[in-house]
Amino acid sequence: MPQVEFEKVGKSFGALAVMRELSFRIEDGEFAVLVGPSGCGKSTLLRMLAGLEEITAGEIRIAGRAVNDLPAKDRDIAMVFQSYALYPHMRVVENMGFSLRLRRAPKAAIAERVGAAARTLGLDRLLERYPRELSGGQRQRVAMGRALVRSPSVFLFDEPLSNLDAKLRVQMRTELRHLHQKLGATTIYVTHDQVEAMTMADRIVMMRDGAIEQVGRPLEIYDRPANHFVAGFIGSPAMNVLPGRIRAGADPAVALDGGGVLPLGHVPSLAPGRAVAVGIRPEHLRPDPDGPLLAEVEVIEPTGAETDLSCRCGGQPLMVALRDRGSYRPGQTLRLAPHAGPVHLFDAETSARLTHPESMIQEYDDDRHETRNG
Amino acid sequence: MTGATATQAARLLAAAARRRRLRVDPMGAALTALTLVAALAFFFPLYWALVTTVKPEVEVVRPGLRLWPETFTLEACAFVLTNSRILVWYLNSVVTSVAVTLLVILSSLLAGYALSQIAFPGRRLLYGMILASFIVPISALIVNHFLLVHRLGLLDSWAGIVLPQLIHPVVIIVYKQFFDAIPKEYREAAVVDGAGHFQLLFRIFLPMTTSVTAALAIITLISAWNNFLWPFLAQNSQEMMNVTVGITQVREAYGIRYARETASAVIAGLPMVMLNLVFQRQITRAIVLSGGIKA
Ligand SMILES: Nc1ncnc2c1ncn2[C@@H]1O[C@H](COP(=O)(O)OP(=O)(O)O)[C@@H](O)[C@H]1O
Ligand SMILES: [Mg+2]
Repeated sequence: MPQVEFEKVGKSFGALAVMRELSFRIEDGEFAVLVGPSGCGKSTLLRMLAGLEEITAGEIRIAGRAVNDLPAKDRDIAMVFQSYALYPHMRVVENMGFSLRLRRAPKAAIAERVGAAARTLGLDRLLERYPRELSGGQRQRVAMGRALVRSPSVFLFDEPLSNLDAKLRVQMRTELRHLHQKLGATTIYVTHDQVEAMTMADRIVMMRDGAIEQVGRPLEIYDRPANHFVAGFIGSPAMNVLPGRIRAGADPAVALDGGGVLPLGHVPSLAPGRAVAVGIRPEHLRPDPDGPLLAEVEVIEPTGAETDLSCRCGGQPLMVALRDRGSYRPGQTLRLAPHAGPVHLFDAETSARLTHPESMIQEYDDDRHETRNG
Repeated sequence: MTGATATQAARLLAAAARRRRLRVDPMGAALTALTLVAALAFFFPLYWALVTTVKPEVEVVRPGLRLWPETFTLEACAFVLTNSRILVWYLNSVVTSVAVTLLVILSSLLAGYALSQIAFPGRRLLYGMILASFIVPISALIVNHFLLVHRLGLLDSWAGIVLPQLIHPVVIIVYKQFFDAIPKEYREAAVVDGAGHFQLLFRIFLPMTTSVTAALAIITLISAWNNFLWPFLAQNSQEMMNVTVGITQVREAYGIRYARETASAVIAGLPMVMLNLVFQRQITRAIVLSGGIKA
């Protein structure tokens, strides 16, 4: 039985509808990441699940039970807020034990559970402090501790790492994953950061404008984005999108509007002349003297491990991420070919994905293993 | 930079600092003087009352202004303490003003919380009415209060003194505004933790606004203690009088004796003076709070 289920859930604030007919399910023990640009409704969705926001249409179920009319405290969930919301007048130990005190748990039991959570999170020595006496990272931990103490059946996180510095964020990412593996509790984690989504999720729920764009495992979404939007959101640098038309003729290919003909693998049923958008990830492009794309290098961004070339190809911006350092200079023209990854086709109008990548593997693909391993 | 230029620079800086210290800002000086004069003007009556209290009556009525008594005596104080019911009046004042304070704080806390945090039909209208009642001076209602309390048979009782003084819209308004300003995450975290309204109010909101509560309690207490008009109307028997009303009886009972009168006034005001000294910060804060209300 799925642990959390949304069925045709809608949300309006007065006359303003911010969510429509939203359905998805999260299995027991899964770490699900709700990702999308800010303002797309992630927090609202989480708050509806938590019981902090009324559900205006549809049904939300936790462990098979509809919770629409269940007050927050009876939903067996715990939530970690972006601002942490630690009660400023309570010590760490009181903050963590607050929910148990409200439930009138015996003192000894509270002490034991708070102690256990504190040990898990390395908070033992901070228990007597007030929130104002803690660093940002420590506060974050206390906020998690407060959730942990209750051993809820579902954990909710609303952008819990966004107030931390970059290094701590990466560290906490790993730690959260680790914690989840240890506890195995169903977790729903909201973020606008696709890296967090990719690295942490068992399952990604991709949102935009109050609607779900795609649900899937991280690599599934990376390899088979359902549309332009998902393709552009997941992966960094973002996927290149070039407009073109299906070329008439024996070999399936796309004539790019900016010039050049991109051969495709087997494309069954696209009418010649049909307008499409071709998507190629920056890391799936590399220099090739016979390549179909002619690009001019504009800016070179070496990251050490990678060299990102920001280019222009037939008037369109084109990013290339190379694993080597090479010797590139601005103004240089390069021939590029897709390799080691799919060429994605999207409908030019609806932006929906047109094909599966398996059918898109094309002739430049033969040296995939060489570059992957080299 | 060479050593020579460094010392030179240091010398120049020191000279500039000296000039700055010596320069007198004429505007600032004028304002300081004005403040001083005003402070003296406010302080003088207080001083005069204190000095009069410790003078013998003959010296008080002697013409001319003597800033310092020739002979010190506690006769006036002793007389008031022994020959009037001032201790009973004190008790009445303490009981009624403490009761007013506790009840005003508690009811305003509840009302402010409800107005700020609970969506119920008519909330805005209710709040509008509270804001409006803030504009009506209490003295305009005092006849109604008198009739009402009379019909309730509560004249000459503690309850009769306390009840009309519970109308304190400012305290509700201040609480509402403070609760409005508490980030909603605290509330939501507590709701998810399992808190109901009373737990939210008494375990989260109230502890987060203790300094506001302290400030509001102190000014409520002071205004209840100093209140004259209502207790004057509602208390007729000496037994039930507040100290502010009682001290007017000193004159009526014994003829005009300035030293005794001021002595009773000083004794009546003493607790509030002490409160003022101890809680100066909270009182200033409370005045700022209730003055800053936007209607
Ligand atoms: N209380 C509210 N009243 C009206 N509109 C709201 C309210 N809360 C959120 N919204 C709107 O709902 C949309 C989704 O908001 P939110 O869930 O906070 O987005 P996210 O968390 O993805 O950034 C936004 O357009 C926001 O303006
Ligand atoms: Mg949000």
